[in-house]
Amino acid sequence: MLAWLFISPISPAGAGALLQDLENALMCKCDDKCGKVLINCTCSTSDKTRGTFTKMLESGLTVEQIIKMQVDKYGETVLSAPTKFGFNLTAWVMPFVALVAGGFGVRKVLSSWVRKKDDSDSAESPNEEPEISEKYSKRLKDELDGIEL
Amino acid sequence: MNDIGEFTLLLALATAVYGCVAYIMSARGNRIDLYLSADKTPFIVWACVMTSSICLWRAFLTDDFSLQYVWAYSNIELDTFYKVSSFWGGQKGSLLFWTLLLSTYMLVVYFQNRKKNLRVVPYAMAIMLVIVVFFLVLINFSTNPFERIPLPPEDGRGLNPLLQNYWMVIHPPTLYLGYVGFTVPFAFAVAALISKDLDDGWIRMTRKWTLISWFFLCMGNLFGASWAYVELGWGGYWAWDPVENAAFMPLLIATAYLHSVMIQEKKDMMKVWNMSLILLTFSMTIFGTFITRSGLIQSVHTFDEATLGYFFLGFLFVIITSCAALIISRLPLLKSANELDSFLSRESSFLFNNLLLLGIAFATFWGTIFPIISEAVRGVKITVGPPFYNQVNVPIGLALLALVGIGPVIAWRRATLSNLKKNFLKPLLAAMVGAMAMFPVIPLGSRAEIYTYATFVISIFVLSCILAEFYKGTVARMGLHEESVAGALSTMAWRNKRRYGGYIVHIGVVMIFAGIAGSQAYGTHTEKHLKLGESFEIRGYTIRYEKLVAIEATNIKTRIIAQLAVERDGKRYWTGHPEKEFYKGQNQPVSEVDVLSTWKEDLYMILADFREDESATIKVYVNPMVSWMWTGGWIIAFGAMVSMWPDRLEQRRRLDRIRKQEQLFLSPAQE
Repeated sequence: MLAWLFISPISPAGAGALLQDLENALMCKCDDKCGKVLINCTCSTSDKTRGTFTKMLESGLTVEQIIKMQVDKYGETVLSAPTKFGFNLTAWVMPFVALVAGGFGVRKVLSSWVRKKDDSDSAESPNEEPEISEKYSKRLKDELDGIEL
Repeated sequence: MNDIGEFTLLLALATAVYGCVAYIMSARGNRIDLYLSADKTPFIVWACVMTSSICLWRAFLTDDFSLQYVWAYSNIELDTFYKVSSFWGGQKGSLLFWTLLLSTYMLVVYFQNRKKNLRVVPYAMAIMLVIVVFFLVLINFSTNPFERIPLPPEDGRGLNPLLQNYWMVIHPPTLYLGYVGFTVPFAFAVAALISKDLDDGWIRMTRKWTLISWFFLCMGNLFGASWAYVELGWGGYWAWDPVENAAFMPLLIATAYLHSVMIQEKKDMMKVWNMSLILLTFSMTIFGTFITRSGLIQSVHTFDEATLGYFFLGFLFVIITSCAALIISRLPLLKSANELDSFLSRESSFLFNNLLLLGIAFATFWGTIFPIISEAVRGVKITVGPPFYNQVNVPIGLALLALVGIGPVIAWRRATLSNLKKNFLKPLLAAMVGAMAMFPVIPLGSRAEIYTYATFVISIFVLSCILAEFYKGTVARMGLHEESVAGALSTMAWRNKRRYGGYIVHIGVVMIFAGIAGSQAYGTHTEKHLKLGESFEIRGYTIRYEKLVAIEATNIKTRIIAQLAVERDGKRYWTGHPEKEFYKGQNQPVSEVDVLSTWKEDLYMILADFREDESATIKVYVNPMVSWMWTGGWIIAFGAMVSMWPDRLEQRRRLDRIRKQEQLFLSPAQE
């Protein structure tokens, strides 16, 4: 389910979400270079920008068209997140590549530790008959399960 | 006084350099005379830095605008409260404040440990002094807070209005206490590497320091979120700004360290890993200061005069390379009997917890530096904002949340099927019942809503796991000692502070996750331009605009306050007073929001704009479950306090250990 969530497109909920999508997707381009995403910005420039976007949406432009117009005007820096193609794709992919690689690393380390333990156990008691009966062995195991170290 | 402040800074530097050299020479040459001499330097350095800090505070409180720093960050009209906090309002003062905290920590470490482990402590003191020296060099020769203005002006420029908030007095010091605190475990780790004293002694000596630093860093992050929520006026609390990220990353790595160090303490494993984690945590604290002081990465937190980036980058490079070289050279000594009974064990769950925590830390780091990488590769400096972090970190965060429930309950060494069934069957059933109960009532129309639903279900599972642990322990105690429920619960937690303190912290973490999920998915907002007497509705609240008042608060500050009646079911429920503050000489007014906070949701009001005819633009957010986050924060604070509380039993065990060691070293002749 998580994988599906990650790849699924952003789907707006409710009315007025188009402006919110724009506010989320674009940065504020005020003179102060506040560096905030439009939705997080409260400066006068951001208020004007919101007004402009509302008019643009009312005139029939789509969110994608408005974003494209903004990118043409200000360049890629106006986007609040990297695009998902070309070199920018590495921004999105790298964390998961690292996580998967780390996961394999952890798995490998764990198996080597488990193997080492098995080896040392078998070296300690070569071909010895178990001294305790099955009944006591099971009881010991159950009690050990319940112990919090 | 300013001369004294400047002089004591130089004296502190000279003493710190001497102390550093003397400690190292005494440790290397076994010279007790040098050790006794060096042993006085932590106190002298602290006294000098404290004197210098007092001089700077005095300059702020007496409006001494002959100091460039005081002129830049204060003025006559500024409240005394903010004059005190202006000390760390700019780069120069913040570095002095950092040094003050560091030298204070160093002094406490000195008093705590000067008669303990003479192999490790001198090196640890030397490492801390090296770091103090770095900061004192910057303060003395690059960003001196005592720099003068030849013709002092009559009044100062004033403190940034956004910083004139009570959180300014609380948030930066808390965060700094966390940042600086990690210097102590870092110094002991490096000292252990240098002295080759690589058992878990350094971990035991610094366990409390690590917990305290983690606690402050965690609270610092939450206080910062709280400040952003009430001061920035955009209805949110976390913007994934590079500097927020810089405070978040060491917290994640330190959390990974706090968990994995338990494996070393219990099983003497993962020595290299733990060493690396604490070094990485400290490096990340320096990386944070690099971001705020370099101007390389655009951030709302960057200091005006961000010129020290390359110093910090150089320092970071030296730390990472020298520590990596030290670890590599000590690899044979750091070898431990890494053996594990089973994949299904608490040890392996902690390893996966480390993986996920570091995964989020890496994703955050990658997003923070990606604009620089992009500029270097393509010549285009792109922006990496909240959409990136939310998409990448949320799925990893959910997996981590599940491990918060699994990790502490799964058995050490080997979990059997019966053990798993015993510990997880009921929590899983609870989560399933919760999932089914929520399904018809919770909207699932967007990705955010589905994530939130998943968060709630996992939260129920985790809470059930933790509460079951409390329940089992309490029932067992009641049966054995014939105690009441409250008595058994409190005695059990008190006798096992570390474990149950940890569980309480986890409850707080679950609440924060639930609060974030609820507020992100189910919030709504609207903006209306209203004339006096007009009203609008949002989520069952009727907001009526009643009046607009202008108040000349001071000679430089004017407050415009809107009065808004909040009605529910036709009855007046609350009165909100959002306002805008105008400061003389500042381009942008500052919004002061008004928030009605309840367990269910926050009604968050902003005066966005107003006109001469007294009409006003009002923005209202309804943010569900935000108070869960703050409550979660206080629960974490309580749990951390329980964990950190001095444990007599532990002290007794430590004394027994020392006694046994002494007996081991007693030769027959001595006996």
